[in-house]
Amino acid sequence: MTMEVQRVNVKFFAAAGCGVALDSFVRVFNSWIQGTDGEYYDLADYGHVPAGPGVVLVADEANISIDNNGDRLGLLYSRKRPLDGTNREKLVASVAAALDYCRRIEEEPALDGRMRFRGDEALIIVNDRLFAPNNEETFSALKPEIEALAKTLYGGTSFTIEREQEPRKRFAVHIKASAPFSIKTLLESLRKNVN
Amino acid sequence: MNTNWKAKLGDRIPVDLGREIDIFETQMELRKQGKIDERVFAETRLRRGIYGQRYDNGQRHDGEKIQKLKIAATGLTKGPDTVWDAPGMMRIKVPFGGLNAEQMETLADLSEEYSDGISHVTTRQDIQYHFVHIEDTPALMRRLAAVGITTREACGNVVRNVTACPLAGICRDETFDVTPYAKASSKFLLGHPDTQDFGRKFKLAFSGCAQHPCGLTSMHDMGAIARSRTEDGVERRGFELYVGGGLGAVPYKAQLFDDFLPEEELLPTAQAIARVFARLGEKRNRARARIKFLIANLGIDKFRQMVDEERRKLTDDPRWTSYLPETREPGETPLKTGIALNGAERPEGFDAWYATNVYRQRQPGYVATTITLPLGDITAEQLRGLADVARRFVNETVRTTVDQNILLRWVSETDLPELYRALKKIGLAAPNAGTIVDVTSCPGTDTCKLGIASSRGLAKELRQRLSEKSFELDQAVKDLRIKVSGCFNSCGQHHIADIGFYGISRNIDGYTVPHFQVMLGGKFRDNAGAYGLAIGAVPSKRIPDVVTRVTDRYVAARQKGESFQDFIGRIGKKETKAMLEDLMKVPPHEQAPSYYSDWGDPREFTLTGMGVGECAGEVVSAAQFTLAACEREIFEAQIRFDAGDLPGAATMAYGAMVHAAEALIKTQNYDVPRDDEGIVAEFRRLFCDTQVFYDKYMGTTFADYIFKARDAMQHAGDIDKAVALQRLQEAQLFIDAAHSCYNKLIAGAVVVPAPAVAEARSA
Repeated sequence: MTMEVQRVNVKFFAAAGCGVALDSFVRVFNSWIQGTDGEYYDLADYGHVPAGPGVVLVADEANISIDNNGDRLGLLYSRKRPLDGTNREKLVASVAAALDYCRRIEEEPALDGRMRFRGDEALIIVNDRLFAPNNEETFSALKPEIEALAKTLYGGTSFTIEREQEPRKRFAVHIKASAPFSIKTLLESLRKNVN
Repeated sequence: MNTNWKAKLGDRIPVDLGREIDIFETQMELRKQGKIDERVFAETRLRRGIYGQRYDNGQRHDGEKIQKLKIAATGLTKGPDTVWDAPGMMRIKVPFGGLNAEQMETLADLSEEYSDGISHVTTRQDIQYHFVHIEDTPALMRRLAAVGITTREACGNVVRNVTACPLAGICRDETFDVTPYAKASSKFLLGHPDTQDFGRKFKLAFSGCAQHPCGLTSMHDMGAIARSRTEDGVERRGFELYVGGGLGAVPYKAQLFDDFLPEEELLPTAQAIARVFARLGEKRNRARARIKFLIANLGIDKFRQMVDEERRKLTDDPRWTSYLPETREPGETPLKTGIALNGAERPEGFDAWYATNVYRQRQPGYVATTITLPLGDITAEQLRGLADVARRFVNETVRTTVDQNILLRWVSETDLPELYRALKKIGLAAPNAGTIVDVTSCPGTDTCKLGIASSRGLAKELRQRLSEKSFELDQAVKDLRIKVSGCFNSCGQHHIADIGFYGISRNIDGYTVPHFQVMLGGKFRDNAGAYGLAIGAVPSKRIPDVVTRVTDRYVAARQKGESFQDFIGRIGKKETKAMLEDLMKVPPHEQAPSYYSDWGDPREFTLTGMGVGECAGEVVSAAQFTLAACEREIFEAQIRFDAGDLPGAATMAYGAMVHAAEALIKTQNYDVPRDDEGIVAEFRRLFCDTQVFYDKYMGTTFADYIFKARDAMQHAGDIDKAVALQRLQEAQLFIDAAHSCYNKLIAGAVVVPAPAVAEARSA
């Protein structure tokens, strides 16, 4: 049976020196809620939990959070609703959505450019231990798709893909490029190379 | 590859649990096909632990307007006003709080895959997830079942999680280890036919001793305290059994049912109590349906007699006693030899943590350590890390606590520095367990549909402020407890805190303003030995100042060795209120807009989600004035109560209720009747017969208080302390409900029907 990927989570990490307090994102997300019409359900503030989920904007399709898991601040896009298409298409769609939220945060007037993300590293998690247990078999099955995704993002720049080795954790890979990339560049690469 | 968890887990799921989950999955399907009524399905899912969550009606006020949420628009519901696809809460029962490492790992996994990565420890030793989709629940339940956990009867009108002192078995003062009794009770009562027809939930707690707070038996429907006695030279075990306690809108302290119930009678007596409750308990009015009301109505002697009669009718059940041999066996076993901590190198921060988070066990060389969880929250990563710690340092002997923390038992004292380092590595070495910093809170408006104010927002703020100055706090202050509830339902257990708060709202110049009612002098010790009394309503944003002012005064003016309860009693409520009076004021919106939003929530505060309504000119002003007067009266009634003037307190409390009713009448008809008889009759006609003064969840309960009080006034008998206290509490709730009704009236959320108004005016 072919491994089907759903519930993809994507995290892009904050650039060094970004010192925005988590509380600020409660206000930002609240303004996002006010600016849309029922797209987002609610927000959950876990700023009191060390190295926790931070501030979570809850929606039907996906949650978006300023996440501090692993004590590394970043934007986490957690897809919940199923996506159509091939595994590669689902991965690309999830990464594109995460990048677009990073862009929104970077351009958020209330933050005044104080929050930037580094594009040279992406964390991809498959949030489903049934279909994607964290083992070599899953890695072998998904590696071609992940490599293709990384090539789409980083073009000719070399990159590495590291699988999360702790077996109890969800299947996850860190994609690391050998040169810096901005969020804007990654979005352009996706737009140019996918379609 | 397995395509579902049922196939993957196979035999790991116990047959009976697997069957129950299969049935629930079928019920879900039938509901989708419209073959199960939504109310029936709602109770069905509740009994599987699947609970509603705020905004699951598909609407949310964003601070400016109501938004209709884009939840899959199938039109399907999972209960009245509850959209099928709206995320909800999942409660997981953890009997006596006991968890092993594998269970913690599973809980961690599930929080990541189906929730938001947080496992939340509740005030009844449960675990809760939020934002869970109902479609994920069968898989979630199967994965829990595979590690021996059921969510069955975590919610609904059934026996809830059986709690027990987390120190049971290691406590220095306990009579005996109550763990096996809690375990047996949980197992015996789960799904028992005699526990399936209650009008409301039933909570059971065990404690190994009377003097400590850990079991909180006084606030439970049934509370059992370990006792032993010697008969004919043989030591016998039993329980001091209490019944009819409970917090909620009207707190009741449990009454003594039996001063020594032999251990072999524990389960049959619980069964008999369940049968009496199921047969005679209120079913229609859920606000009066807890067993505390039944016992109060019958009287404890009559209730005891009925239970005894029921007990005699029961057919012997081997399960009543089959577990007893286990109670004499050693329970948990340590992983390592107990060795004292002698001169080992202490890491930075260790001493502060040691002072508050380490409990010396009865067994020499062993300690229990508290993992302080901020607001009861723990991440998946931390939970997995804690599982590793539990395997490395102890024999997986872990318990959740009613303080929303986790206790690691049977730690060899010599391992403490290394344990501290390991906990610090996963962010779980925070000190201040069981101190004023360790604030307890229910979910409140974060996720609870009943929440009025942000209890977690306030708790977070208090925790942060107190934590920053914890090193300079006087020990007497440090030892105090703060508990916060988002509403009068008391899930945050505010009644039993030294300093408690529960969320309410007040209308100020057309704006709804979040407030907390300040409760002082509750007693956590002695198994929740006394409940605090309301001092007054303070805007949410001034609550941290309340804590500072009250504790500063306590430090400055306490007498040697004087407890906080005694201190508050000595200075009296009049003085206490005077101390806080200026904090109760709300500046105009244009001067201080922050007062008009809640902690951690930038939205302008609203209760109904319908915005601010129009005011009706002078009539409203007169009504507001009268409502303010009621607050004063109820406070003065409390002063009289403290002074021992019980009839005066009761009369004044009734008078405050009459004036609150008068205020509401004024919104419809300025010319109100002059005497209390006329006011009460008019109130009934305008607001009760029309169901305008009606609480969605409490029904007519609050309105009934004024009628009951009037009847009592007409048939004046002796007013003892309990009656006067109850009148005071009911008057406070009636007045709070009057405020709520008033808010709804001016927001246009409710309207008194025109014929009733016309009738009132012509009268």
